Amino acid sequence: MGDSPRELPAGDTRVADGTATSLARKIPRSLVEIGLPVLVIAVIVLLLPLFIPSFVSSLVSKMMIYGLFGMSLNIIWGYAGIPSFGHAAFFGVGGYAAGILFLKVGISNFWLILLLAIVAAAVVAAILGFPAFRVFGVGAGAVNPIYFLLATIAFGEILSRVAIAVRPVTGGSTGLSGIKKLDLAGFGFRMTSGRYYYLVFFIVVVCLFVMYRVVNSHYGYALRGIHDNERRMQALGYNTWLYKYTSWIIAGVFGSVAGVLFAFFGSTMIPNNLAMVTSDIAFLLVIMGSTTTFFGPLVASVVYVGVEYLASLYLPDRWPLIFGAMFVFTIMVIPQGLGVFILKWWRRLFSGSPA
Amino acid sequence: MAPLLEVKGISVHFGGLAAVGNVSFGIEPGERLALIGPNGAGKTTLFNVLTGQLKPSAGSVYFKGQDITRASVFARTHLGMARSFQITSLFPYQTVRVNALIALQGTRKGRYNVVRGLMGDKQMQAAVQGLLESTDLWELREEVVSSLAYGQQRKLEIALSLASDPELLLLDEPSCGLTTAESADITTRIRDLGSKITVLMIAHDMDLVFGVAERVMLLHYGQIACVGTCDEIRANPMVRDIYMGTRKTFGSNG
Repeated sequence: MGDSPRELPAGDTRVADGTATSLARKIPRSLVEIGLPVLVIAVIVLLLPLFIPSFVSSLVSKMMIYGLFGMSLNIIWGYAGIPSFGHAAFFGVGGYAAGILFLKVGISNFWLILLLAIVAAAVVAAILGFPAFRVFGVGAGAVNPIYFLLATIAFGEILSRVAIAVRPVTGGSTGLSGIKKLDLAGFGFRMTSGRYYYLVFFIVVVCLFVMYRVVNSHYGYALRGIHDNERRMQALGYNTWLYKYTSWIIAGVFGSVAGVLFAFFGSTMIPNNLAMVTSDIAFLLVIMGSTTTFFGPLVASVVYVGVEYLASLYLPDRWPLIFGAMFVFTIMVIPQGLGVFILKWWRRLFSGSPA
Repeated sequence: MAPLLEVKGISVHFGGLAAVGNVSFGIEPGERLALIGPNGAGKTTLFNVLTGQLKPSAGSVYFKGQDITRASVFARTHLGMARSFQITSLFPYQTVRVNALIALQGTRKGRYNVVRGLMGDKQMQAAVQGLLESTDLWELREEVVSSLAYGQQRKLEIALSLASDPELLLLDEPSCGLTTAESADITTRIRDLGSKITVLMIAHDMDLVFGVAERVMLLHYGQIACVGTCDEIRANPMVRDIYMGTRKTFGSNG
């Protein structure tokens, strides 16, 4: 499952990137470098609710949900090189699908809701992806990617207008409220706020695992190739259009899972959850977290939710300004993103020399 | 023998400009054909029609008897064509190994596999070793491509083109920008590709052309000015006038 080749032929004394250490010699590097921190963080997050007040653990839930949201955008942006300003379309479709199924249709089984919401988001992504990639286009052969970006903004805005217009189903401009997690079923126990934390943790971990597999699979490396050099990929025999289109759907599906979790987390869904205002969050998370690391947006999400909470305490009226300042700060101070920063620091810890 | 690639009456117009006008030729299996011509002769335009990047205004292209005039770039690769690029076209932020892996799986079934890790795939890694060893790049396998010397990048450029095991290799100025020694190395490599691979190349480097090609085709103002063996081309006064320049070209200001 390692994402880097560490098998060297017998007798080759050279360690993969020229940095031999005593610690990493016995155990496979990928296990120490990736497995260890993942395990430590997972255990901390699991045990956290025992030691912190419930409002903090709800912040941690939000960090996980937004982290998943950002990482799902990173699949198309960071790996395939397709930036999108409309990722909230999928987040919102997932959330609205969950809310409508729960409130209007009367399904209370969480797993069924999740499944149907994923299907809904996949269908929406498949429909929107067609004009996005066929007409506007991004990458090799596209007239100008700006049209693609504008189209993705439009998708989110159109969907939010639809959500406002179809009042009987979506609740109009006030949205849906009362999407109570406490009434969810399908677990074999009664859902509580405390248990919802673990549900979020479980779903996010599963999603991260699946996404990690996808981006390191044969398919995932093809996405990297398209990011770097789409023209060459076509010459090598790749149907790059199909890759871009499918990765868009995959990203949409994971974005919708974040939306489902968010709907029950906040118990409301509003039209803005489909629009640019929400897409910006994913956008910021990817920029702040770095497009070149897998986990970057998750780290950014921790910072983002923390800042958002502090802002809501002390400067609630100034949130747009603070949000913008986070963009500017990221671009000026850590343009590569937090992910790269942490990765470098972590590698240095192991190699003893600058990575 | 039936030609491997047959070009029939290809014309390409850009607005009112005829970049390529009614060009027809064929390449026999195993042949090495060089396409030469002064700047703006239409070499690259013709090349792009063959690789599928450009659709011709008129005429058709047949590969192994199949009409591929409208086939996409990637479909041609699956049929057995491969190309290299004049301006080095690699995956600069990946290692040589990853470049080779991506190149090798382009025509393999597993390329859509979303579950299986690429790095841990033993079969693919073995294929990478084969490809990189045959092109003398195995030593550099863990180097990031952007940190390689230009000559090594050019070598990788050709290696990636060979990854799909092509029957027809289209090379766009393979020795572009190389030193004389590096260029000679590339010449030997292309010559040693074996008769299973047919080569069509654009080249400005006449040492490369005469070192590799069995037949040379001179393109001038979008049309085939003449075709012949290396000796014929060397002796042809028209080639000298068009391509090498007349005495006047250099004599005018001195």
